[in-house]
Amino acid sequence: MSALKQGIASPLRLFTKTSPLMPLVIRNFHASSCLCRLQLLSRVRCVDNSAIGKQAMAEGKPPKIIHVYNKKRRATIGDKVLMTVKGEMKKGIIVGVKEHQKHGIPRSDTNNVVLIDDNGTPLGTRINAPIPMILRGIMKEKTIAKGADYTKILSIASRFV
Amino acid sequence: MLKLFRYGFAELSSISQLSRCLSIGACSRAFTSQARRDPSETDEATAAINEGERLNLESDSTRTNSNADPHQNPYKNEMEETFAPFRFVYPEFLPDPTIKWRNRVREKLERMDMLKRRSNIDIPEFYVGSILSVTLSDRNAPGKTNTFVGICIQREGTAMRSMFTLRNVVDGHGVEITFDLYNPTILNITCLRLEKRLDENLRYLRDAPPEYSTFPFDMVPELRNPDAPVPINTLKVKLNPKPWHAKWQLWDLKGVEDFSHELESREWRKLNTWKFSEGYETAKYDLMKTYRSTIPAEEQTEIYSEVHQQLAKLTASLRKQKRKRTFVKPQKTV
Amino acid sequence: MTSTLLPSVRRTFQTGRGQLLQNAGVVGPLWKLGNLQFLLNGSNTAFGGSVTFIQTREMSKVKHRHTHPRHIWAKKRRERNDQELTDDNQSFLKKIIYDTYGPTTFDWRAENTGMPFVSPLKQIIHERGVWEPRSIRTGVIARKIGIHPMWDKEGKRMLTTLLQVTDNHVLKYIPPEVVQRNYGKRFTRQDVGLLLVGAESADPQRFTKEYLNLFEESGLPPKTKISRFMVTPNAKLQPGTPLFATHFKVGQLVEIFGHTIDHGFQGVMKRWGFKGMPASHGVTKSHRRGGNTGGGGEKARIWPGTKLPGHMGNRWRKLKGQEIVRINTKYNVLYIRGPAVMGEVGSFVTVCDTFMSSVETMDKSTIPFPTHYPEESEETIPEEYYVPNLFNFGEPSIVFEEKR
Repeated sequence: MSALKQGIASPLRLFTKTSPLMPLVIRNFHASSCLCRLQLLSRVRCVDNSAIGKQAMAEGKPPKIIHVYNKKRRATIGDKVLMTVKGEMKKGIIVGVKEHQKHGIPRSDTNNVVLIDDNGTPLGTRINAPIPMILRGIMKEKTIAKGADYTKILSIASRFV
Repeated sequence: MLKLFRYGFAELSSISQLSRCLSIGACSRAFTSQARRDPSETDEATAAINEGERLNLESDSTRTNSNADPHQNPYKNEMEETFAPFRFVYPEFLPDPTIKWRNRVREKLERMDMLKRRSNIDIPEFYVGSILSVTLSDRNAPGKTNTFVGICIQREGTAMRSMFTLRNVVDGHGVEITFDLYNPTILNITCLRLEKRLDENLRYLRDAPPEYSTFPFDMVPELRNPDAPVPINTLKVKLNPKPWHAKWQLWDLKGVEDFSHELESREWRKLNTWKFSEGYETAKYDLMKTYRSTIPAEEQTEIYSEVHQQLAKLTASLRKQKRKRTFVKPQKTV
Repeated sequence: MTSTLLPSVRRTFQTGRGQLLQNAGVVGPLWKLGNLQFLLNGSNTAFGGSVTFIQTREMSKVKHRHTHPRHIWAKKRRERNDQELTDDNQSFLKKIIYDTYGPTTFDWRAENTGMPFVSPLKQIIHERGVWEPRSIRTGVIARKIGIHPMWDKEGKRMLTTLLQVTDNHVLKYIPPEVVQRNYGKRFTRQDVGLLLVGAESADPQRFTKEYLNLFEESGLPPKTKISRFMVTPNAKLQPGTPLFATHFKVGQLVEIFGHTIDHGFQGVMKRWGFKGMPASHGVTKSHRRGGNTGGGGEKARIWPGTKLPGHMGNRWRKLKGQEIVRINTKYNVLYIRGPAVMGEVGSFVTVCDTFMSSVETMDKSTIPFPTHYPEESEETIPEEYYVPNLFNFGEPSIVFEEKR
């Protein structure tokens, strides 16, 4: 139910309707206006092909943010977040957001995330969603600053916009 | 005394018509008839569009010839009629109508900068509903360019702040990019399909099935007769079931299939109250509201008569490029 | 002992006269450190050589804003008489005014170049001083005409504020001796004079005689706005000298003075950003009120500086170290980096060189001194000046080249 409140995109919602784990009665309206920003307890969509991510999305239990690794506690493109995925704590990098962006930076219809481990290595082998070009610059900057190599998720991206 | 007259919702015209009009010197009959249309006839026209009928110039002129008396409205003159279509083709040359932010000198300086930029890059004529391709130089990938193709769902801002938003569905994921029209990192803007839709913005495509906003990145520009009017696509979009991103029932959308079965009784009730409280039906008769939210016609004439010579040169160069290609009859879209 | 003496001392401070201090029997030297004034007394006084301090309350901080012009200022606007002049008489008056002053109507709302009208001087006498490291130039009066974005050569967007220098002339120079006599030690430097500058000529019929007297020396028509600038004697200018936007150079840092936007009487939510109270849950009549203003006991009163409803805005503010990124010489427009310039569109600000010597990177000796005289320059002045990293729209689009 909370997934519905957070405003996950329509394909996912259609999927949850058919899921046996979800209750049969679904309210087709928002209890509050949908939050475009990513903060604690926001639901995000896992777009890589890692086993745990795919399974979580298939069960209709998308990952939930429990920490954002910056001072503002608001995640945007390129930010590292900590999530609960099927009862486990996993780290991920935000690769697409719903909120309004500046010139030339894409805004996607869903809040997308790619799962990584502590060294920055992605758990999956392929990203199915288009990745914003600006992520190249951000990931390179963060790699220098933090020590972990985040540029690996750029190499498994299928498409940049 | 302030002139309260505004142009009626005149039928839009293409760049080529503009240039022809300017080159002849006097405005053509078709233009005068379009610009002189009254609000009542605008309703007729929109109704006609709703039926799926494409307006052509001849039927317009015959319809309005009966009351096309130049003495009827003393404020209309030939100049105003000549420059009337400019506001559709180059809407960003009009300043923000908010009175407390207006200043003649700043507006002029901005216009000069915009013309300078337009002499370096071809910014084509496009509308909400047209399909564009934009090429950017990207700081994150030096030495390469980044191209995005999509349908223009929104145009906003004025002068140097003007922006437009493109939408496309890439690999099943909806993506939107907003561009500043005068950003110097833009290398090329191409209009792949020039057409209009029935609504001012197409933000409802976010709640529509992906096939309505899916376009291939290797799309070839459609060639059209430069003298023909810009076609209006009367496509009706079928929205997804609720929940939506916005309360589309409040937006009075023309290009959407009937979704009344989606609304619950409490929403119907609220909709009716809202219509009443917002002055939904009486708003079009509120002259002062229109006056405050638009640039007066005589000022538009002033602005466009100032920039039209340079714009005419630009349009001529655009036409030259088009002539190089072979003419193909415009195909019916979607 | 202290309690009896202190009130008298405080009273003498408020008058601000050194003589009265002596009359009160306090001879010791005086230091001022922020809000605290230290009194060091000699052994002959009752304090026995001890150091005491008295807290004085700066009323200027409490009273932010003066609603009336100062009494020493000349009354500006004249009340129009209802006498009905015939058209002939009116045209006669207009002719007289035109013969005396030349064109006098400057309309900032219309499309104008901001160029000064013809100076009454037949010949501008350039008895100019030589630039020295501590010399101060005059400033100019400008109108804020709007904000619009520009881009730098990296493709980054920035907002620029446009200030138009409108019809500026020098009215009067007051030498340092007179300043010292009239103002005492109000200025931090003792060797500075004052330069009166006026902007935007106007119809003399609209002003009082005493206001018009200010313009007698220069022979100029009355100006809508006058302002004074602190200058060193080597930077003095002859009354009647026109000032242009080219008084400044691009890349220079300037200070901007002006009044902020007037919001009128506002509540605490808008004025101080208070949160207000809930819309429901039993709250009545105090959804936008400030709530409690203080405690009880000894503090049972409203303390000075408490955030309360009141007049918001219309205060004199200054901005330091603002960069000029572009100058339009044809329309006399300065482009300032950033949207921070105070006031709404159409309000007056004054612009002068920055005093922040540590921040200023430009070599000050290259700035035109004491001002720019366009008739003297041998080359034709270009229409636009840009700082090197600002994108000029006449250039082709930005391409990022691969680093090797």
